[in-house]
Amino acid sequence: MAEVEVRDLAKNFGRVAAVRGMSFTARAGKVTGFLGPNGSGKTTTLRIVLGLVRADAGTALIGGVPYGRLARPRHTVGAMLEATGFHPGRRARDHLRVIADAAGIPGRRVDEVLAQVDLTSAARRRVRGFSLGMHQRLGLATALLGDPRVLLLDEPANGLDPAGIAWLRGLLRSLADEGRTVIVASHVLSEVAQTADHVVIVSAGQVRFAGPLDEIGSTNNALESAFLKLTAAAG
Amino acid sequence: MLPLIRSEFRKLSTVRSPWLLLAAGPLLVVAGVTGLVQSGGNVHDPATAGKALAHVTLAALFTLIFGIFAVAGEYRHGTVTDTFLSTPARGRVVAAKLAVYGSAGAVAGLVSAAAAVAVTAAWWSAKGGSFQLSAADSWRVLAGGVAVNIAFAAIGVGVGALLRNLAVAIAAALAWIALVEGIAGQLVGTGLARWLPFSASEALGRANMTGTAGFLPQWGGGLVLAGYAIAFAATAMVTTLRHDVT
Repeated sequence: MAEVEVRDLAKNFGRVAAVRGMSFTARAGKVTGFLGPNGSGKTTTLRIVLGLVRADAGTALIGGVPYGRLARPRHTVGAMLEATGFHPGRRARDHLRVIADAAGIPGRRVDEVLAQVDLTSAARRRVRGFSLGMHQRLGLATALLGDPRVLLLDEPANGLDPAGIAWLRGLLRSLADEGRTVIVASHVLSEVAQTADHVVIVSAGQVRFAGPLDEIGSTNNALESAFLKLTAAAG
Repeated sequence: MLPLIRSEFRKLSTVRSPWLLLAAGPLLVVAGVTGLVQSGGNVHDPATAGKALAHVTLAALFTLIFGIFAVAGEYRHGTVTDTFLSTPARGRVVAAKLAVYGSAGAVAGLVSAAAAVAVTAAWWSAKGGSFQLSAADSWRVLAGGVAVNIAFAAIGVGVGALLRNLAVAIAAALAWIALVEGIAGQLVGTGLARWLPFSASEALGRANMTGTAGFLPQWGGGLVLAGYAIAFAATAMVTTLRHDVT
């Protein structure tokens, strides 16, 4: 069990205050929807949690430990970020094997996650031939590779067809039911309304709401109205 | 560290482009030696053999660009995010890349050296000269050339990690070699200019034991170039540790 805890996080890029004092906790066994307009500091916050960006103030801890001090990062956190890229000339299976090598993960696990995301038949193809949906599924496979206790996914349903979206919803649900901490950043509020237990709504670098989805109401309209109202009033 | 090195080797062995780049080295050597002979190089003059074998140093330009791909290439393709997620201790990533790319640079240097020996021997015998590999000078020039390839691979890793933009790093390295050192030489005189990295590499790759005009002696070139490689590597480690990957 590992919670993700963000306390008083702040980050400026030059004169742009991307994150202005953000605090929330994502609990184990729950799917936490992480919502916010473009420029709200959502992506920066995720990157700080993952040790990719250094915060100016505050803490971001995973199971009480910052990312850089995790003994086995890939076994603790599985991340799927929008900006993650693939070398176009590399085969899908080799992309995963590169990461597996660095993390000490055996080769058969690579084949397991490829099967889980239904990329087995494309495993030996070079990534340059992949569709958007295939890119996304490879990114998801990368996140699942270490069988991590925490999943941090940024727009995971992007490019998936309806069957894929339904499958992903089931996957996130079952991962959370296994006791893992699942954080999903998404603009697709209708999906979040169906999947999330808790939501954290941010705008202009600050948290506007953090709590159970039930408090907002889990119908599609309720979440959207609350989101638009909370994020419009940002200052 | 071993898992990291295995990962870096796999990164290299699972794509084709770096190898195409390194293959250009021996080709350049063959073309260079051929050009030297065809343009009137005298195979009976012992100094000409040295000039032929010194093409191994010229081929190191490709090894430099190869080294630049180590870090700058990862930024270009967006794989740097996964690399630092796997290994948040970024200094170890740079160290692993230096080890792997340095080794590949050594292999590239050896292949270029073998090509140099083969094509030089072939042309010498075709032109009726006698090429003695056993001459001490030949071994020194070849060893120097291989050393330049190793150093340039390491310097390339450092330059790529500092600039983090593949096109800019390659352009900067080539512009430095083609323009900056030449101009600096004009401004400050060859006494100082011979301490610059490319001049040091020329010294390491071809000069004799006491130094030719405008160049350090071979051992001096080697020390200076090693110093540059260490300085670039250290700076690269420090800047990589602090950099925000956005």
